[in-house]
Amino acid sequence: MSHFLLMSIYAALVGAFFALLLRREPRGQVKLFLQIFLPMIGLALVVGWLMFFFPSGPPSPIP
Amino acid sequence: MAARNVSKNAKTAPAPPTGRAFAAAFLAWLVPGAGHVFLGRRGRGVAFFVIVGIALGLGWQLDGELSYRLAGHPLEVLRTLGCLGLGLPYFLLRLGLGYAGQLQAPGYEYGSAFLLTAGLMNYLLVLDAWDVARGEKT
Repeated sequence: MSHFLLMSIYAALVGAFFALLLRREPRGQVKLFLQIFLPMIGLALVVGWLMFFFPSGPPSPIP
Repeated sequence: MAARNVSKNAKTAPAPPTGRAFAAAFLAWLVPGAGHVFLGRRGRGVAFFVIVGIALGLGWQLDGELSYRLAGHPLEVLRTLGCLGLGLPYFLLRLGLGYAGQLQAPGYEYGSAFLLTAGLMNYLLVLDAWDVARGEKT
């Protein structure tokens, strides 16, 4: 499974859990689910994109 | 004035916990969702069982760590306490199957996150079942 798929499943599970736990009406549940799910995915993509500028790898040789 | 405060506090003070509340909380810890089923919230209980079960199953399949050390580094102890929130599935995996996770597995980090999250979610279910049983939540 890809990183993105696992991350999406994780966000979906967390969103569904809190939506069911904290809201009783279906409309409120959907709203809270989206309020949790979308920011988790969006922020992860933004942070992942920012990490592009800090690639991992062997340390640079000392000049 | 003091007597008025006492009577006001007496009105708002929560009722002492009953055996039903303890039973619901224990069942909720033992099997995810069981506390809600016990309290008559069958649909919610099944939904919680499925959600926590998926997180647990994925963590297991990804070879995440099921922490078991209650001494040593404080963060490791905290992680163990978090995983213990899984209740019966924790002991079935840990003691029944001898599962602990594999550090070298490619999905180790993701799996560990899924397992720990499943345990923490179940702790929240215990608190929710407790509140529902005491009538503080519908």
